[in-house]
Amino acid sequence: MSARDDILSAIRARRHERAPLPPVYGPPAILNIIDAFVERARLANAEVRFIDSVADVPVAIAELLRARNLPAIVHVPPSASQLPWDTAPGLTLGHTAPGPDDAAVAIAPFGIAETGTLAYPARADAPASWHFRAGFEIAIVRAGTILLHMEDVIARAKSAGLPSTVNFVTGPSRTGDIEQTLELGAHGPKALAILVIRE
Amino acid sequence: MNQDPRAFREAGQAALHDPGLRIALSRLKTHFALNRALAVERYGDWEALREQGCAIRDYALANLDTLLEQFERAVTARGGQVHWARDAKEAREIVLGVLRQHGAKTVTKGKSMVSEEIGLNPFLEANGVVPVETDLGEYIVQLRHEPPSHIIAPAFHLNKEDVATTFREAHTTLDPDRLLVERTELVAEARRMLRAEFEAADAGITGANFLAAEEGAVMLVTNEGNGDLTRLLPKTHIVLTGLEKVVTNLEHGAVLLRLLTRSATGQDISSYVTVMSGPRAADESDGPENFHVVLVDNGRTRLLGTEAEEVLRCIRCAACLNHCPIYASVGGHTYGATYTGPIGAALNPGLMGVGVAHHHPNASTFCGRCAEVCPVKIPLPKIMRYWRAREYASGLAPRTTVFGLSVWAFFARRPALYRLFVGGGARVLKLLARNGRVRAMPLMKNWFAVRDFPAPQGKTFSELWAARK
Repeated sequence: MSARDDILSAIRARRHERAPLPPVYGPPAILNIIDAFVERARLANAEVRFIDSVADVPVAIAELLRARNLPAIVHVPPSASQLPWDTAPGLTLGHTAPGPDDAAVAIAPFGIAETGTLAYPARADAPASWHFRAGFEIAIVRAGTILLHMEDVIARAKSAGLPSTVNFVTGPSRTGDIEQTLELGAHGPKALAILVIRE
Repeated sequence: MNQDPRAFREAGQAALHDPGLRIALSRLKTHFALNRALAVERYGDWEALREQGCAIRDYALANLDTLLEQFERAVTARGGQVHWARDAKEAREIVLGVLRQHGAKTVTKGKSMVSEEIGLNPFLEANGVVPVETDLGEYIVQLRHEPPSHIIAPAFHLNKEDVATTFREAHTTLDPDRLLVERTELVAEARRMLRAEFEAADAGITGANFLAAEEGAVMLVTNEGNGDLTRLLPKTHIVLTGLEKVVTNLEHGAVLLRLLTRSATGQDISSYVTVMSGPRAADESDGPENFHVVLVDNGRTRLLGTEAEEVLRCIRCAACLNHCPIYASVGGHTYGATYTGPIGAALNPGLMGVGVAHHHPNASTFCGRCAEVCPVKIPLPKIMRYWRAREYASGLAPRTTVFGLSVWAFFARRPALYRLFVGGGARVLKLLARNGRVRAMPLMKNWFAVRDFPAPQGKTFSELWAARK
């Protein structure tokens, strides 16, 4: 018998009762979606700023880089190439994959209020690996696309046809592997900033 | 370092006298246990969440065969391939076969306990494949040629000075006079060294936290982002996992995720959670071209239908280790096995055989903290008792234990004699005590070498009980 048949018949020989399917779980209620999102994202060491419209993104990014004394260079995936970049004249755009010290932009299709998470179902114009290659990730999310729970994002992603990768990102990369003490920037970004568009 | 579960007692003695390990183990309470308690409190109705998690895992185990078949169909439909391994040897050979099929010589690895369980790394090395661990803790212990000492914190037994020494010895291409003292410097150095490995690897191997049967998807949790770089950059991605990780769908995975990260590190969610299904689609710009899942049995299905079955609910959060007085005393390496602490004590006799791992279920005070903190309510002490009974039945219990138990049983069956003996014993112990503590007894030198106990106060429980009635 093949390993597969062997294993399945071993399971069947030992299984007697079938348990009922558990009812759908209702996570604790969230009163204010945006407040919860911001609070949780900050708790996970993300910086959160509000802007009024997409048009303000380039200037806000230039300010974020300046505030951190970083060079005015940002890597932009095709999904963000249509933003009005000429509104921030000092900013240089990179179009290649970011290196471990580079800043990169990510447009998050969804946010999750429960955990302050950004969710990215993979798309052709937004490489999934950029979330882990960059040193500083600047995520952009519209307030109206912040959903309550991970289950809500899963439902949307499934109904649109589940891509091969869905990334859920909460705060920057971290490790506690040396003396159980938090260090940011293990392999992925050392910092994460989120621009929430109010409109 | 102990690699033999049968040498648990000797290894434990050595661990108790290791000063560096004492410092490392003291971090269990101040870091893991504290952070978990705070996260549980923040959540709200934790008990309802545990109930749900437990029901989700029980449903999956009760329908394991159909869910695994459904998972296989869904992975195949998405262009991936599922492999089945009866035991460790089969699993190792499947992984090597897939690597050879795709011409892979270098492999980056995300954290996987199953990989440790089946001894994958030495096997790959012996067959001309270079495996590079990329989880920081796993990377550190790989450089030191040690196994991980904790399920979620592989280098838990080390202090930063040990890590600095290890990096200086391993990273010979770097300036020997560089500053390498603080944790930040150590993390930055590992980040730099490993980024090159990610870019160069032919294949990536990760574990899985949950397998979603309906979607044919793998849910993977990391904090560092190493699991994602391992999946996304190489041409081939292999997921190596125990077959019991399957659940009904991603929604069930999302519920278990709430339990997992809070129980493990006290985070509401880990930095990265990734749902991975199949190779990259034609219209996607990133991801592997080849996607394989290796489902490993290696003794798991044998536990179905036994009194130890609930151990298969485990989601590998390590909360039971972090709250265990035995683990906190002897550390992970003492077990000489991949799974340590209470979950190791409940799982290892099943996976490795009672004859090999019979000391592990005895390494418990039965304080019950492990079962209290278990997010999926595994009755760990009950399962340890089951293995102890099996040990006794197979004649593996030490002769002194068997003799002691039979003496006790003789008296316990004769209440009058028992009361007489215990009453007399309590009074003798009171005479042996100095300053209210019993510190020595004839024939028990080893036992008293590391402990004592309070002297009996006078009357026995039976006497007090009789007096109250």
